[in-house]
Amino acid sequence: MKRWMGISWVSLVFAFLYGPLLVLMVFSFNQARYTTAWQGFSFTWYTSLFENQHLLDAFVNSLIVAFVSSLAATAMGTLGAFAVSWYRFAGRKIFFGLVYSVMMSPDIVMGISLLMLFVLAGIHPGFLTLLTAHITFCLPFVIVLVHARISGFDPSVVDAARDLGAKEYDVFFKIILPMILPAVLAGWLLSFTLSLDDVIISFFVTGPGFEILPLKIYSMVKLGVTPEVNALCTILFLLTLAAVMTAHFLIKEKKK
Amino acid sequence: MKKWTIILCLLLAPALVCAGDKTLFVYNWTEYMPDEVLTAFQEKTGIKVIYSTYDSNESMYAKVKLTRGKGYDVVFPSTYFVHKMRKEGLLSPIDHAGLSNFRHLDPILLDKPYDPKNTYSIPYVWGSTALAYNSDQVDPKNMTSWKDLWRPEFKNRLVMNDDVREVLGIGLIINGFSVNDTDPDHIRMAYESIQALMPNIRVFSGDSPKQPLLNLEAWAGMVWNGEAYMAAREFDAIKYVYPEEGAIFWVDSMVIPKGAENKKEALAFIDFILEPENALLVCEYIGYAPANRTAIEMMPEELKNNPTIFPDPTDVTKGEFQTDVGEAILVYERYWERLKTGL
Amino acid sequence: MNERQGFKFFAVFINMAWFALFVLVPGLMVVGISFLTRDMGSFFAWPPTLVHYKELVDPVYAKVLGNSLVYSLNTTLLCLGIGYPFAWFLSRAPAYRRPLLLMMVIIPFWTSSLIRTYALVILLKANGIINAVLMGSGIVSEPVSMLYTDVAVYVGLVYSLLPFMILPLYAVLEKMDLRLVEAARDLGANGLQVFVHVVLPLSLPGIMAGCIMVFLPAMGLFYIPDLLGGAKTMLVGNFIKNQFLTTSNWPFGSAASVFLLLLMVLMLGIYFLLSNRFNRNQTL
Repeated sequence: MKRWMGISWVSLVFAFLYGPLLVLMVFSFNQARYTTAWQGFSFTWYTSLFENQHLLDAFVNSLIVAFVSSLAATAMGTLGAFAVSWYRFAGRKIFFGLVYSVMMSPDIVMGISLLMLFVLAGIHPGFLTLLTAHITFCLPFVIVLVHARISGFDPSVVDAARDLGAKEYDVFFKIILPMILPAVLAGWLLSFTLSLDDVIISFFVTGPGFEILPLKIYSMVKLGVTPEVNALCTILFLLTLAAVMTAHFLIKEKKK
Repeated sequence: MKKWTIILCLLLAPALVCAGDKTLFVYNWTEYMPDEVLTAFQEKTGIKVIYSTYDSNESMYAKVKLTRGKGYDVVFPSTYFVHKMRKEGLLSPIDHAGLSNFRHLDPILLDKPYDPKNTYSIPYVWGSTALAYNSDQVDPKNMTSWKDLWRPEFKNRLVMNDDVREVLGIGLIINGFSVNDTDPDHIRMAYESIQALMPNIRVFSGDSPKQPLLNLEAWAGMVWNGEAYMAAREFDAIKYVYPEEGAIFWVDSMVIPKGAENKKEALAFIDFILEPENALLVCEYIGYAPANRTAIEMMPEELKNNPTIFPDPTDVTKGEFQTDVGEAILVYERYWERLKTGL
Repeated sequence: MNERQGFKFFAVFINMAWFALFVLVPGLMVVGISFLTRDMGSFFAWPPTLVHYKELVDPVYAKVLGNSLVYSLNTTLLCLGIGYPFAWFLSRAPAYRRPLLLMMVIIPFWTSSLIRTYALVILLKANGIINAVLMGSGIVSEPVSMLYTDVAVYVGLVYSLLPFMILPLYAVLEKMDLRLVEAARDLGANGLQVFVHVVLPLSLPGIMAGCIMVFLPAMGLFYIPDLLGGAKTMLVGNFIKNQFLTTSNWPFGSAASVFLLLLMVLMLGIYFLLSNRFNRNQTL
C-alpha cells in the first residue's frame, strides 16, 4: 500500500518534470521556424545547429564555466558550512546574513554592482570575472544545503576522534565529509544548474570575447529563439541521461 | 592534468584573440546579422570579427556606459538610444567621407531628430510598431485606428509590447500628442487612456508579441512589423495595418562608442554593411527592411511590394520616430508602475 | 597556531574573504549609491540625500512587494507540499538507486530556462496540448484559459524551483535513522504521531534550508512569471530592474533593493527567533 503510494507520487512528480522536456524534444523536430504549431517532421534544426559555430562555441564556454565554478563553489562552500557549523567565530551571524543576501538580491543589482567593482579595480571583464561571479552566486546554495545536513550530527563523534588524536584535516576528510557526501553532491548539482542557466549577472560581468549560451539564447528574442536551441537542449539532455544511466548500471553490476 | 590544460587554455584564450593584429568587436542582438556577411568581411579585409550579444537596448546602454564603451567597436542601438547616448557623449562621430556607400541610404531615414545629419549614427534596418490582428476573429473594418483597440469586443484579447514608451505612446497618440511628449499632464492623460484599455489587454509581451497571436490567446494588438511578417509567413490570417493616426517608427543604427579601440576597422565595417549586396543579405536573413535604397531596388517585386515590411511613404510621414524624452522618462515609469499595480 | 586552528583559520578565512570581497564590498557600494542623488549623465552624483528612501513610502512599492511576497510564499508552500513526500520516498529508495534518482531530478534543469518556459507555453496555450487533450476527450467544449493566468505563473514557478526544495530535503532525510521511527511505533505511536513527533523535527533543518532556497530566489524572479502570466502585475524584480535600466535611476533602485534586503533579513530574524523559542519550549 505505502510502497504503491510512493511509486505513484514519485512517478507523478517525474512526469511533471519531464513533460515539458518531452514537448521540447518533440518540437526540436518541428519544421516550423516561428510558430509552435506542428508543421511536419524534419532534421533541419539539427543540421543547421552543427553549422552554427557561434552557438556551439557559446555552449562549450557555458559548460566550462559551469564545471569550474560549480566545483570551486562546492569545495569552498562545503568548507564554509563545516566552519559555521563547528566553529565559533566572530561575524558568524554576519556571514549568514551575507549568504542569504546573495540568494535574494535581484540579479540586476548583483550584476551591476559586481561590474562596478571590476571596473573600479581596473579588471577587464572576461572569463575570470564571469567565473568569480558564478562562484559567488552558487556558494550560498552549497553552504545552506551542507549546513542543513551537518546540523543535528552528534558532535561527540568528532570529539571522540579528536581525543584519539585525529588531526583536524582528518576529522574533516575522514569523518565529516563521508557523512555529508549526499549534501555535497546535491550542492554541486544545484551550483552546476544555476551556473548553466544564469543570464542577467553573466551579461554584466562577461567581456566581449567570452559568450555563454544563456546570453545568446536570451538575446535571440528580437527575432525569436531558433529551434536550433531546442535541438541543442535535446542533444545535451539525451547525452547526460545516457551517461547517468550507464554509470548507474555499471555501479549496479559491480555491486553484484 | 587534463583539467589544468583546459584551464590554462582558457586563461590564455583571450590573450591569443588579442594577439591577432586586427580585430573588431561587434555588439548586437543574437543573429541580427547573417554569418556570411561577417565571414565575407573577414575575408575581404583580414579583420577578425568578434560578435557578442545583448538582449535589450537598456542593458546594452548600462553596460557600454559602465565600461565606457571600451571593448566594443560597433554597437546597434535603436532610435532613441542613439539620441540618449549621443547626448551623454558616449558616441564618437562618424566620418562620412570614409563611407563610400553612404549614398545608398534611404533619404527617408536620414537626418531624423534623434541624430540630425547622422553625425553619430548610420541606419542599419528599420521598422514600425503598428496594429496586427487575426483575420479569422477580427473584421478588417474594425481595425484601422489605434482607437479600435478600445473596442469592448476585444476584452482580454489584446497583446501589447512590454515597453513603457510604446504603450504610453499610443495613449499619447490617441489624445493627439506626440509619442515623444514630455509634458506631465499629457503623459497623465495618456495613462488614463491606457488604464481604460487595461481590461482588454491579455498580455504584455516582453519577448515575442507574435506568439500570443499565433497561440490564439490574443486576437489583435500592437506588434513590430518584422514580427507580423514572420507570423504571417506561417499563419496567413495574421494581418498588419498602419493605423490612420500613424505608426511608431524605429531605426536600429550602427554607432561607434567613444571608448572603441578599433575605430578605423569599425568604419570599414559600417561601410561594408552599407554595400547593397550585403544590406540585401541582411534583409533576407532577419526580415526587417534595410535602410538601403539601392538594396531595396534589387529585391524581387513580391518582397519590395510587401507593405508590412515596406510601408507607403505617406504612412511613414504620418508616423513618428522616437526620441529620448530625458527626465520625463521618470514620469512615464511612474505611470507604468501604477498601470501594472492597478493603483 | 596549532594544526586545528590552522584548519579552522583556512576554512573560515577563505569563505569570509570571498564574501567580503565579492558580496560585502559591492553590497556597500549599492548602499552608498542609495544615499546619492540621481543623475542622468553619470547614473549617480553628489550630494548625499535621503529622498530615495522617502520615495519608497508609496503604495506602489507596497503593492509590488506584496505581489512578490504572495507569489513567493505560495510557491514555497507548493514546492514543500510536492517536494517533501517526493524527497522522502527518494531517500527510502534502495541505496544504489538514489544517486540515479537524484540526477534524474536535476537533469531537466540543464536545458535553457527560456526554452523550458516556452515548452510550458506549448502545453498551456489555448491551442496547446492540454487543451487538445481536454477537448478531444470531450471534457470541455471550449479551450480552458490557462496561459496568462496565475495558474500558469505557479506552474512555471514551481517547475523551476522544485529542485531547490527537493535536494536539501533529500540531503537531510537521507541520513534519518529509521530505527527512531520503529522505536516510536513500538511505543504505540500511530503514523501521524510518528510523523509529527519524530520525522518532522528531525527533518526541520532540511525544510528550513529548502524553504529559504525557494523563497529567497523567488522574490527576485520575474522573467518566468512575466512570460507565463502576461506581465500584467509588477513584481519587485521588475520594479528594481526598471529603476536601473529604464529610468537609469540607480539611487532609487539601490534604495529599493536595500529596503527589500532589510525586510527579508528582518523576516528571517523573526523566524529564527520564533523557531528557537519553539524548540526550547519543546525540550523543556
